[in-house]
Amino acid sequence: MAELFLVADDLHKSFNDHKAVNGVTFTIARNEIFGLLGPNGAGKTTTIRMLSTVLDPDAGEVKISGFSTREHPNEARALIGVCPQELALYEDLSAFDNLMFFGRLVGMNSREAKAQTMSNLAMMGLETRAKDKVSKFSGGMKRRVNLGIALMGQPKLLFLDEPTVGIDPQSRNKIFETIQGLRQKGMTVLYTTHYMEEADRLCDRIAIMDGGKIVAMDTSRALKANIGDPDKTTLEDVFLKLTGRSLRD
Amino acid sequence: MKRALIVALRELKTYLGDKGDLAFSLLLPIATFALIYGAFGGPGLFHGTAFIVNEDTGVYGKQLVENIAAQKSLDVELLARADAETKLERSDLRLVLLIPAGFSDRLRGNQPVQLTFLQRGNGGQEGQIVASIIRGVVSELNQEFQVRGQVEAALAGKGVPQDKITLTVWQFVEREREHPLVGVKEIAAGSKPNMVNQFLPGIITMYVLFSVSISASVIVDERRKGTLERLLTTRLTIGELFLGKFLASVFRGYVQTLILLALAYAVFQIFTPSSFIESLAVALVFAMAASALGLVIAAIARTQDAATWIDVFVTMFMTMLGGTFFEIGGGTILYSLSKLSLNTYANDSFKNLISEGGSITSLGLELAVMGGVIIAGIAVSRFLFKALPQGK
Ligand SMILES: Nc1ncnc2c1ncn2[C@@H]1O[C@H](COP(=O)(O)OP(=O)(O)O)[C@@H](O)[C@H]1O
Ligand SMILES: [Mg+2]
Repeated sequence: MAELFLVADDLHKSFNDHKAVNGVTFTIARNEIFGLLGPNGAGKTTTIRMLSTVLDPDAGEVKISGFSTREHPNEARALIGVCPQELALYEDLSAFDNLMFFGRLVGMNSREAKAQTMSNLAMMGLETRAKDKVSKFSGGMKRRVNLGIALMGQPKLLFLDEPTVGIDPQSRNKIFETIQGLRQKGMTVLYTTHYMEEADRLCDRIAIMDGGKIVAMDTSRALKANIGDPDKTTLEDVFLKLTGRSLRD
Repeated sequence: MKRALIVALRELKTYLGDKGDLAFSLLLPIATFALIYGAFGGPGLFHGTAFIVNEDTGVYGKQLVENIAAQKSLDVELLARADAETKLERSDLRLVLLIPAGFSDRLRGNQPVQLTFLQRGNGGQEGQIVASIIRGVVSELNQEFQVRGQVEAALAGKGVPQDKITLTVWQFVEREREHPLVGVKEIAAGSKPNMVNQFLPGIITMYVLFSVSISASVIVDERRKGTLERLLTTRLTIGELFLGKFLASVFRGYVQTLILLALAYAVFQIFTPSSFIESLAVALVFAMAASALGLVIAAIARTQDAATWIDVFVTMFMTMLGGTFFEIGGGTILYSLSKLSLNTYANDSFKNLISEGGSITSLGLELAVMGGVIIAGIAVSRFLFKALPQGK
């Protein structure tokens, strides 16, 4: 069994009596790409916010490389990079300044931050637009900046919360390429999406989430094999079978 | 600490990068200053217009008009007698000097002449001042003629030509005018008491209060951009985040006050160099206290609307109770409440420095209160932010 890099144990979170996350348990092995697949409102973002120390769980525990996020949030933070679902950047600054700023805050000196900013922008295919204000960028380019920021400090574990929502195919391919490249270099990834083809294509294992719970968790092929011929079924069929509803509702 | 500076610099970069915002915030104090200048400004000395009907055709009438026009505080406007009378009738004018026909001829013949002030009522305040300045000019002219009369009488029959006498007398009178035996000089004691002195402390205080508004929004701003959560996953501590925001909003609020004070210093001359430096220091301390107070609002507010409304409420409360609009008498409930307003301490400090010629060493209480607000504001806001649930 590979080393467990992240352990989420029985996580709960309610907002005004509404159980957004209701007993979620899973683990991610080092260098794995793990997918959380579920419709809007399933509780994917809330889960990521708890894993990334932004939100305290009502109950349950998260450990990242052995560090409990409750007791050692700083050690845990030093290992993670977060690419939030909503853009989290300064539109009035250039792409360069955005990456630099967060690079400095994750602890790099200005020389290191500069070198990494340039290489991340190049990886995102944005090197020629480095000095332009982000407000002038297309939606897809902004998402690439968003991801570029998450990679500052070379985190060991990357949380990607629906990074491809509403973007052009070019940006989407760039993001996929990047994720696969990073995995080659040893990064561990948690990827959430409500697009089943994406989960299918990228993820080693997938947890299907609905109503704050994980309803199934395995490799894509094993999930499909459970309900029929894995070469003829889709994750969509799996979801329908498990919940009685379509993923796209 | 270094990360707090990084946060502050990022904030300032955004501020300096938005040319519109920047121009507005820098022009605001200049525009305010222009308004103050329009209301209370100018050289601060009397300036009026002497309306003159000159019916004399000779040189002395003309000379009198020129002497009056040479007064720094007077402009001259000549009119025809009929015109003057209708304008007086309609109260368009309050006072007119009449130089009668034959003025020069009679003077040349050493005969007494009469100048007349045609006036409506008492001539009005401006009219009275104009009249007294004209009397001064006339009495100089009188002296000149008296001296000339005496010199002529003394030299009578000695064969000295008339124009030589005229020229010499004129030269002596002129010399006397420039180097009088008994002179009068004006020296202002303390700073000049005037309207600007009365109002400037309140206006500066209002300006510094912008720091409350600026810092009240700093957290919802990050929330709106989605960057707050991102900041919370870096090594930045909440203390550093608030400190960085604090530094940036002190800077932004202070720049405006600085412009306003510098203009007031340059134009109104109501400061001594030391009272100017001391006012700058007090404004800085107050800007820091205001920013710290704004941080507390920032820590509580979950939305931009909440931040705006709490800010409006707090600043209105402090302005009303802070003696900016009206004096608050001792012993009343309002007076006790006014002690809760930062403005009270800032106003008292600026009044002391600007209007009363006091020094910063006498502002111990005020500075201590503001210092306390700075420390408490930063600490409390950090505590509140951590304690309150962070729902989206
Ligand atoms: N801050 C919040 N306050 C109240 N309700 C929330 C909050 N965040 C999420 N929720 C609710 O929790 C549920 C799960 O939301 P979320 O985790 O964003 O789902 P997903 O990311 O899978 O779309 C939704 O019903 C959502 O409305
Ligand atoms: Mg989501």
